[in-house]
Amino acid sequence: MRGNVASCDHCDLLIGPGPAIREEIGGREAVFCCPGCRSVHALLVSEGLDGFYARRRGWTPGPPSVPPLDPETFAAAAREAGADREIDLTISGIRCASCVWVIERHLGKKRGVRYARVNYTTHRGKIRWDPTQTDAGTIAGWIAELGYAPSPGETTGMEETLARQKTDLLLRLGTAAFLSSQIMMVTAGLYAGYFQGIEQQTRTLFHLVALGLATPVLFYSGYPFLRNTVAGFRNRAPGMDTLVFLGSFSAYAYSVAMIFSGGEVYFDTTAMIITLILLGRYLEVTAKGRAAETIARLFRLVPAQARRVRNGGGGTLSVVETVPVSSIREGDIVEIIPGERIPADGVVAEGESEADESLLTGEACPVDKAPGSRVFTGTVNGSGRLRFAVTGTGRDTALSRIIRAVEEAQARRSPVQSLADRVVGYFVPAVLLVSLLTLGSRLLAGHPAVPAFLASISVLVVACPCALGLATPLAVFVGSSAAQSRGILVKGADALERGAKVDAVFLDKTGTLTRGMPRLTDVVGFALPRDDVLAIAASLESPSEHALAKAIRREGSGGKIRDVTQFRAHPGMGVEGTVGGRRFLLGRRTFLQDREVAVQEEEEEIARALSEEGKTVVWLSDGKSPLGILAATDTLRPESPECVRSLIGEGYAVAMVTGDGEAVSARIAGEAGIGTVLSALTPPEKTEAVRRARSGGSVVLMVGDGINDAPALTEADVGLAMGRGTDIALESADAVLMRDDLRLVPRFLAISKQTMRVIRQNLFWAFSYNVVAIPLAVSGRLHPIASAALMAASSLVVVGNSLRLRKEAV
Amino acid sequence: MWTTILLLFLSIVLGTGAWLLFVWAVKSDQYDDVEGQKHRILEDDE
Repeated sequence: MRGNVASCDHCDLLIGPGPAIREEIGGREAVFCCPGCRSVHALLVSEGLDGFYARRRGWTPGPPSVPPLDPETFAAAAREAGADREIDLTISGIRCASCVWVIERHLGKKRGVRYARVNYTTHRGKIRWDPTQTDAGTIAGWIAELGYAPSPGETTGMEETLARQKTDLLLRLGTAAFLSSQIMMVTAGLYAGYFQGIEQQTRTLFHLVALGLATPVLFYSGYPFLRNTVAGFRNRAPGMDTLVFLGSFSAYAYSVAMIFSGGEVYFDTTAMIITLILLGRYLEVTAKGRAAETIARLFRLVPAQARRVRNGGGGTLSVVETVPVSSIREGDIVEIIPGERIPADGVVAEGESEADESLLTGEACPVDKAPGSRVFTGTVNGSGRLRFAVTGTGRDTALSRIIRAVEEAQARRSPVQSLADRVVGYFVPAVLLVSLLTLGSRLLAGHPAVPAFLASISVLVVACPCALGLATPLAVFVGSSAAQSRGILVKGADALERGAKVDAVFLDKTGTLTRGMPRLTDVVGFALPRDDVLAIAASLESPSEHALAKAIRREGSGGKIRDVTQFRAHPGMGVEGTVGGRRFLLGRRTFLQDREVAVQEEEEEIARALSEEGKTVVWLSDGKSPLGILAATDTLRPESPECVRSLIGEGYAVAMVTGDGEAVSARIAGEAGIGTVLSALTPPEKTEAVRRARSGGSVVLMVGDGINDAPALTEADVGLAMGRGTDIALESADAVLMRDDLRLVPRFLAISKQTMRVIRQNLFWAFSYNVVAIPLAVSGRLHPIASAALMAASSLVVVGNSLRLRKEAV
Repeated sequence: MWTTILLLFLSIVLGTGAWLLFVWAVKSDQYDDVEGQKHRILEDDE
């Protein structure tokens, strides 16, 4: 080899004799093209990961190839922007802020590019260029040459609506906040004037300034409330918005009247109510926007391009061409290389590999793929090359069916009328009635019109929703931060409120009740002692990253781990290697069969018994006869039985829902202590099970982690996701367990109940203020400063009572 | 009296300036990516 052209031991690129770096590694001379490759190789070897080189089958040397782009799709997505053209691109492969930086810089240096900006959160880029100097396809090519995959960005309707809503709210909120701060300054002057005396002229000036500032707050920032109030009256269903608008409007109208009759003004009340409530709304819309973003990102998980095989499968030479995924049809043969994301649903025609389907199922262990097995869009291929026949693309895949189910469940889910809304529904008409009665009775009694009118407005002002409006949100805020400090992230205000009413708990099996990854449960030795079987298996599996290999290593790490040489992995079958001078095979039954290992009937019997329990069985052999078998299975989380016990003890109905078969489900349910098991359910059936329970009158809490749980999480009254769950599960859920600890489930329910208790107390206190103040206002005896003091006192009581939650919550 | 009016006027003018800046910021999508900016400041601009 010396003096001739060689190939780099790490990256396989051909190198001339000059620049090659030669080094002795493991008693053999290794050649590298650069110091980078040498240090990566040294690192892999020193960490015992040189199995990497054995596993990279079907790999071509050189930098990762980026599939060619179709310039026309990009040109079609571009639009006019003055004299320039502009395009929105979705760029996949962005992992950190440096990616954003390098793309922006790279494009910025090109001729003709006027503007390039990539959004770090959404992975969207906006690029503007001069059409006389370059074009969309070329720009996409520049991004692709950096190793990122651009695709014409499509926005979903939901995203756009939310983005518009968010901008609109932000403008209204910002304006209200700015004007409120100005009003506060003027009001501070007026308060000082009340106690120290103030010139009449100055006072009127301050009043007029406050009026000028408060008007846009009420009618511009408060417009959504005005709109909903009108709609609320039309539907005879006054809600929280009605109360907000009525409260702020009556304060405003009363103050305007007072400017002319010389009383106190309450423009600050008008502005603050609207500002605070807008702030809450804005935060809510932001959270919803994140959920929509996640769903949109799921759609983008589908690769934009696929390798279609023409004349594939037969004996003739097949041609592989790269085409956009949209042109793939049912029945086409598509090829996937190791590590690639699968672009369509299909059935494997050729090749063996395993696929990481954790995206769909939450199951960490890769699923073996051989001719005949189904593959799913968006899942990741393992270490083998596969060719499969397409059975579904686009909207007709398992992935998009699940996403649609989540969207449908979200749309169907009617907003639950919160306790505060219900109370307001009675309160608003009652206050309006009292106000009208005040006006009517005074006019009838022969009072002059102006004071009679003022008395009726002052009823509305003192009934102002300050304490009432704070009662629920504050308790929920303190309740959720108490939950957060205990490891539960509560996303919506109503999650706690509905959580308090839950009476049935549905638990997913894989990844929720269980760990979601296999653990070694049985080791049987035939020709060797148990411990030796385990030690050899653990040594053999040491270079492997397969979930089963990790399980074996974890269990066998106590024994004597020896170096493995001449390691070879056979995807979907097993591994082989030399340990302590002897050649061993470790893999499934068919792997041994291929190598013509003679298996005895009683050995077969033991293996069969283990697989009937739902366990994955691997055989260890020396190539002539089996030496032992190892079995692994997904096991229960240690805290699951405790969680179930305490839920049942508190009177909740507990059920397990799972997509797995009956035998495995029954065993896990038995271990966890759950009586009701719904097994072999597809994701829609899981949702259906939740819906049935709800229509039967139950309030359902669903706990899950996979994409397959997402529709059920949305359908349930309260969805609770495990912290290590998939993105979509996290976003579909109302609350997330930040630690993977099921004992947080009963804790969440307890915090919910306590929060509801505090909300009820708060509403009671807020009302007790009205019970005192409204009669005084009706009689016209309420002094304005006394009224302000009462309002402050009632708000303080509500604040103090809510803060108790932080200390007392379980 | 005049000092009061002047100060009121000044505070409202300054406030309006800030408000206009805010409206401009919202309209020109400055609030679209609040996550990326904190990373961007760490990058060297040559």
